[in-house]
Amino acid sequence: MEFKLDFGYLVEIIPELLSFIPLTLFLAVISMIFAIIGGLILALIIRSNIPVLKQLATIYISFFRAIPTLVQLFLIYYGLPQIFPAFTAMTAITAAIVGLSLKQAAFLAEIFRAALNSVDKGQVEACLSVGMTRAQAFRRIVLPQATRNAIPATSNVFIGLIKETSLAFTLGVVELFAQGKILAASSLKFFETYLALALLYWFLIIIFTLIQQTLEKRMEKPYIS
Amino acid sequence: MITVTNLKKRFGENIVLNGVDLHVNRGDVLAIIGPSGSGKSTLLRCLNLLEMPDEGIIEIGDTKVDVTKMSRKETHLLRQETAMVFQNYNLFKNKTALQNVTESLIVAKKMDKQEAERIGKELLIKVGLEDKFHQYPATLSGGQQQRVGIARALAVNPHAILFDEPTSALDPEWVSEVLQVIKNIAQQKTTMIIVTHEMKFAEEVANRVIFMADGNIVEENEPKEIFHNPKNPRTKQFLKTLERDE
Ligand SMILES: Nc1ncnc2c1ncn2[C@@H]1O[C@H](COP(=O)(O)OP(=O)(O)OP(=O)(O)O)[C@@H](O)[C@H]1O
Ligand SMILES: [Mg+2]
Repeated sequence: MEFKLDFGYLVEIIPELLSFIPLTLFLAVISMIFAIIGGLILALIIRSNIPVLKQLATIYISFFRAIPTLVQLFLIYYGLPQIFPAFTAMTAITAAIVGLSLKQAAFLAEIFRAALNSVDKGQVEACLSVGMTRAQAFRRIVLPQATRNAIPATSNVFIGLIKETSLAFTLGVVELFAQGKILAASSLKFFETYLALALLYWFLIIIFTLIQQTLEKRMEKPYIS
Repeated sequence: MITVTNLKKRFGENIVLNGVDLHVNRGDVLAIIGPSGSGKSTLLRCLNLLEMPDEGIIEIGDTKVDVTKMSRKETHLLRQETAMVFQNYNLFKNKTALQNVTESLIVAKKMDKQEAERIGKELLIKVGLEDKFHQYPATLSGGQQQRVGIARALAVNPHAILFDEPTSALDPEWVSEVLQVIKNIAQQKTTMIIVTHEMKFAEEVANRVIFMADGNIVEENEPKEIFHNPKNPRTKQFLKTLERDE
């Protein structure tokens, strides 16, 4: 059988696929927010050198960096309810968000730690020397500079996260990828459908990259001589 | 004004301050000289508790603490009595020159922004940076950055300003402008402790000089005496080495 690209079909399904982008973005953004909070807490614990807590944080990071996302999602969604029946009520979307956040928090912790360390401690000493507290120094001087240092790597994590939301389909969430699969199965136009999907993910990442560049440019301002 | 009694500090086995006693009067400009590693920076950094001394009593302005039983509150209070000018400026890189100066006023002293900016601008004018208010440190020369550093220290209106080799990191072309600013401030009866390798400057600006070696104050006198008629053999040797290097 000769293959002929059905361009019309590709264009036709795009609006339908587009309507799933909000869910994909929702999964990515919410997971990212939790991951940022978690990552920051982990990074601060590791920097603080509090005994026990620091070891626990290190183990956490090592574990969640190591296991495949799929294994982790299945562990949470199918595994946990067997031990803790309360988790049976957890929806697939919640499970996906929890799984993705827990994992990306581990990656972000490393990024944040490095970004915080890259702000030289002389600036903190300068804060203390003019009567500011450590907390004030952190909030006003260290955090803004660390944020700027962390943006490129953090953006990569977010791009990864957008793509990984497609794994939520394995838990039964009908998001962008799952909808693509459904369409492909009924039309049997696999190439067109998955190409449309690929283009949509590409489009999402391009938009995000533009936002990132604007943000970076704005934050660069103080540092350009 | 500043009284330090039996100040001790060690890093591991290395005894860096070996029971230092020090007294500085209001309006004094005290220069500290001495060979590398003699503990000059450590002494200065112990005064504002950037290093925690192991033992000793520090009294600055209205705050007196015994470092062995010092609360967080006391640490904070003692730090507020002084301000420091660093060798590497340590300016806040995410803040403009003006914001560097006003930051402590707004954040620590809870001053309103307008008042803080008025003071900030006044001080930047005083150090000769009237046209650099809104520039970031990355766009300033070393000499300009250090002058911002000095204005930032002046802003908190401290009992004393601590200078740790304020010109050592500067390209030679910027040294004199910074020294000039420090001299101007000294003339206004600001209490200052200056660690420096610039002997000529120390002689000109200070009314007292301390020579330190191996964690001890070896000799203390007026500049004229220290530089032209040193008593202690170690001081003599140190000054001779310097002359030879020049
Ligand atoms: N944070 C630190 N940890 C360990 N040792 C330190 C630390 N800071 C200083 N020292 C040691 O303490 C001694 C005194 O150092 P300090 O910096 O006070 O000397 P200094 O007189 O300022 O020397 P320089 O003229 O080179 O600046 C040195 O032997 C130094 O190696
Ligand atoms: Mg030093």
